[in-house]
Amino acid sequence: MIITAEHLSKWYGQVSGLNDVSVSVPPGITGLLGPNGAGKSTFMKLITGQLRPSKGQVRVLGEPIWGNPALYQRIGFCPEQDAFYDRMTGREWVTALTGLHGFDARTAADQAERAIAAVELTDAADRKIGSYSKGMRQRIKLAQAIAHEPELLILDEPLSGMDPLMRRRTVRQIKEWARGGTSVLVSSHILHEVEAMTSNIVLVNNGRIVAEGDVHQIRDLIDEHPHTVSIRTSQPHAVARELLADEGVVSVRFEPGGLVVETARPDAFYARVTDLAASGQFGPIREITSPDDNLQAVFRYLVKA
Amino acid sequence: MTTRAALPAPPTFAAGAVRVFSLSLGEMLWSRRTIFLVLVTGAPVFLALVARIVQGSGVVPLRVNGVPVDGASIFGMMIWVFFLRFIVPVLGVFYGTALMADEVEDRTITYLFTRPIRRGAVLVGKYLAYVVCTTLVVLPSVVLVYFVLVPFSQVARSFVSFAIDLGLLALGLAAYGAVFALVGAALKRPLVSGLLFVFGWEQVALLVPGYFRRLTVAHYVQSLVPHAMPSNGVASLLQSVLSDKPPALVCLLALAAIITGTLWLAARTVESREYVLDQ
Repeated sequence: MIITAEHLSKWYGQVSGLNDVSVSVPPGITGLLGPNGAGKSTFMKLITGQLRPSKGQVRVLGEPIWGNPALYQRIGFCPEQDAFYDRMTGREWVTALTGLHGFDARTAADQAERAIAAVELTDAADRKIGSYSKGMRQRIKLAQAIAHEPELLILDEPLSGMDPLMRRRTVRQIKEWARGGTSVLVSSHILHEVEAMTSNIVLVNNGRIVAEGDVHQIRDLIDEHPHTVSIRTSQPHAVARELLADEGVVSVRFEPGGLVVETARPDAFYARVTDLAASGQFGPIREITSPDDNLQAVFRYLVKA
Repeated sequence: MTTRAALPAPPTFAAGAVRVFSLSLGEMLWSRRTIFLVLVTGAPVFLALVARIVQGSGVVPLRVNGVPVDGASIFGMMIWVFFLRFIVPVLGVFYGTALMADEVEDRTITYLFTRPIRRGAVLVGKYLAYVVCTTLVVLPSVVLVYFVLVPFSQVARSFVSFAIDLGLLALGLAAYGAVFALVGAALKRPLVSGLLFVFGWEQVALLVPGYFRRLTVAHYVQSLVPHAMPSNGVASLLQSVLSDKPPALVCLLALAAIITGTLWLAARTVESREYVLDQ
């Protein structure tokens, strides 16, 4: 097991962030799934040693993580927050952070270069991070996490803010890293994002593990609930016309800068949107997001069950 | 990532601090706070230029009991009034308390705390960057003030005390920075506490006869000043009357103890403290 938590709890004063969680994460890719505020971030912070457990214990790669900085030599972490040293270029930033692992300057620069190439940012590497788009910022965060070639990658909402094509490429890249022997724990509030990478998931809600195991076991539950997807595009009406031809689409409504679609067949729908983005037929599709309500319905069902 | 490169050993505490120092120095030098620093240290240069222009026009800029004050004495006064009593402690408060707070506020602390470097080394690295950054801005300002005010013919005579001024200002920045690094690491409202320490506690303690003054940084820094303390107010007059100036070696040892002691405590505090970031 790459991560084990036993009766893990975390309180922020009187507020419970995580409540008596026991879970084992095997090697390979594991998805940590839950709506915002479910306890995902608290769990991520505990397994990356940013927070100390209030109760219970957590071990990463067989060792306790809190107060054990040497262990970070084997871990790469891509945090959720959109925070950077904006005045640095992408290359300077990744090189400097890689240097903190003890590499000499030349090796750190080489490692950074490879990581930047892996996330397809070589052309923009010498631009200041402050000038990057949201998707580019996500990718440079991934680069700093992989540059020292860790055994375990912990990715907190890594696909948020990426356009559909970059999502597809990043998912492919994550799977490739896993095939190369790197274990990956990836958090998301979008099942289809996680499902594209792995079938092994841990479902978190209200600070507890609701379910864990093979995604296909809860797959049918998900499909019973209409799925809402928000699309940011410059041609919402043309995109809507195209998508309404899809038999799974239940409803479409417009909002400033895009449209919100409800679909009963999320898998086919996501594939269709990605194809539309790739064709460029209706201008750029800048972002697709999925609100938490999709999962909430499933969680409500699971908790009742 | 199919063939993993051999990982080097994690950096030692000192090596980690040096790497954080190189990462932080540029960020600190080009931060908004440095604009404030340049403005603050630019004020004495501006005043020195005004004094020089006035002097050049044949008017004596400053007289004490009717006796004209020469450039070297005005410089000595400026070291006391502007640099020692204001600029050095204020910079110590603003930079020292923000060493970790800035990273927490910008939510970049995660990138430093998830590296194979002890958290204490992160603090020490950032502290070193503060010392170099403030020294690089404050000392050139002092050099400019000196060469604007002191006539070339008096440079040789006053150069030793000028060099001492530069050294003690750097030492003052290091000492105040270390104290406020601890305040920043341990307290929730470090800026208010820091300002209260500098403009409340230190001012009062220096006026009270007895041992209280030994619990200030100012006592040891000001005891090293080669210039006479200006008597520009009741407080200064009282301070000069009540002053018990310890030997220079005692002051240097006390400042070294303050720097190492408070930095050690600050590093210990950072090691054990949780930083919860706003999402």
